[in-house]
Amino acid sequence: MSGIAIRSLAIRTIALSTFGSFLRNKVILLFGSLFVCVVLLMMTPLLGFKAMTNADNAQQMQGFILNEVTIVISMVSGFGSLLAAWAAADSVAGEMKSGTILAVMARPLRRWEFLAGKYLGVLMLMGVYVVSMLGVTLFLAWLGGQSFHASLWTLIVYPLVRYAIWAAIAMLLVTMIHPILAMGAIVIVMTLIEVFASTVNHIPMWLKTPVHLVLPLTGLLSEERFMEITRASVKPFPWTNHLTALAYGLDYALVCFLLAVFVFQRRSLARD
Amino acid sequence: MATPAIEFSGVNKVYQRRFGGVQVAALSNISFEVARGEVCAFLGPNGAGKTTSMNILMGFIYASSGRSRVFGYEPGDVRAKARIGFLPENFAFYRYLNAEKLLRFHLRLSGRQLPDPAALIAGLLTKVKLDSYKGLKIGKYSRGMVQRLGIAQALLGDPELLVLDEPTSGLDPAGRKEVRDLILALKAEGKTIFLSSHILSEVEQICDRVIIIDRGHMVRSGTMQEMLAEDNRVEIIVDHLPEELELALQERGASVEREAHRVRIAVDVTQKRAVAEMLWAGGCDVISLTPMKSSLEETFLKLVASGGAQ
Repeated sequence: MSGIAIRSLAIRTIALSTFGSFLRNKVILLFGSLFVCVVLLMMTPLLGFKAMTNADNAQQMQGFILNEVTIVISMVSGFGSLLAAWAAADSVAGEMKSGTILAVMARPLRRWEFLAGKYLGVLMLMGVYVVSMLGVTLFLAWLGGQSFHASLWTLIVYPLVRYAIWAAIAMLLVTMIHPILAMGAIVIVMTLIEVFASTVNHIPMWLKTPVHLVLPLTGLLSEERFMEITRASVKPFPWTNHLTALAYGLDYALVCFLLAVFVFQRRSLARD
Repeated sequence: MATPAIEFSGVNKVYQRRFGGVQVAALSNISFEVARGEVCAFLGPNGAGKTTSMNILMGFIYASSGRSRVFGYEPGDVRAKARIGFLPENFAFYRYLNAEKLLRFHLRLSGRQLPDPAALIAGLLTKVKLDSYKGLKIGKYSRGMVQRLGIAQALLGDPELLVLDEPTSGLDPAGRKEVRDLILALKAEGKTIFLSSHILSEVEQICDRVIIIDRGHMVRSGTMQEMLAEDNRVEIIVDHLPEELELALQERGASVEREAHRVRIAVDVTQKRAVAEMLWAGGCDVISLTPMKSSLEETFLKLVASGGAQ
């Protein structure tokens, strides 16, 4: 086997082990169960509206139903971002805290390969999450009597790239600070993005430019840009726009990941 | 001359607290070499800097200054790590895996290509007497079983150099003997072994060379023979010792230690013949007469207690 094949086997081994550990992680299982409960709860009013629909109020009820589905999609997206960040932070910090990293890094494995394996493991988890949540959303929309007029690949790739950004940011932060502080910083960044998105026209240029440069523009990677669910219609969206939006997201994630590798390369792996 | 397996030259490590700027010198000017095929013990009291040195050696932490090499490579270089088997102090593991899966995971990371990896894993588990527990999750293992598994994973890549941080920690006397025998077998195979341990009687039995550090400073380094240099006293064991004879011996500078069925007399080698004759004449049966040697423990305690950093 060539050197590259051996290296890629090592990265895949770390990725699969990380993904396997997520599937056994009690915190993820607990939050997953809670999330399913919330979705089930959201279905109650949805089904209620549907049952109350008659010829006189059909349009109004349809509006309620689509609103419910939009709320679920927003929840899925927000929770997914937090999950991606937490999984990335925990996958690195957990190994360092428990000391399992020592036996792993004693193997002929470079530090960036370890981090790349961990990152791929997180993306595998988020891939499963995106596909599952897409299933839930499609099911809810079907219950509401709507169907998505958008290519399915966009509903998978866009959220995945968004989650890749949050995972890379969390990985960068956790190589420098405690995971709880890292998650606190992530929540602050998410809040700032929301604030800037809603007040973008009131922000002076001197503040807007650095914010655009530093904070990830996750709004660019939102499915809502090309899918208007409240009218169950598709906005015109050329493939070049898809390409630039996704390239922006991947570039942002790559920069954060490379910074994480740079910091991780220099830090102590053992507990002092 | 072949490159030494391990080379430390003027290595310093200073820990600095992030806030407050307090500096703690963990290692100060540590220099030593471990030749290939040697079994070398790295000794020191708790907090001496043994684990810090091993972490530098493995590339887990960086030295503040000085030069360290493993088989001529920088610590952490994959070419060096491919030739090392490492057992960390308090070996940690993925609790949800069983022994077989953990070893398979480490084997994949080691990049070692084998026609039948299952046979190697089964052989190693038999070697460390875990073959009957291979399906049990590691989270349910006892401390000793985890330590054995740690030793098995260290041997997985058929390493030229074994770095073992407290290999017998947590093991019962039988387990300790097994590890000792295993190290002796690996020594016979020509492997280089660098180990730290607090059980000095074991170190005395298996190691060729000893390095002692204390509070981050090198205290002494030498072969086991040098460490166990002969004392200039002899020990005479007799079946009994009348009290008047004990007083006479004490006047000759002998020390007497009474046990249940015998008496140990330590006396300067120049007094050996005279004391033996006195004992025969006094009706005592001399059971043995042997030159005294300092044990490694005595040497260690003497060096560490004197704080004799070079």
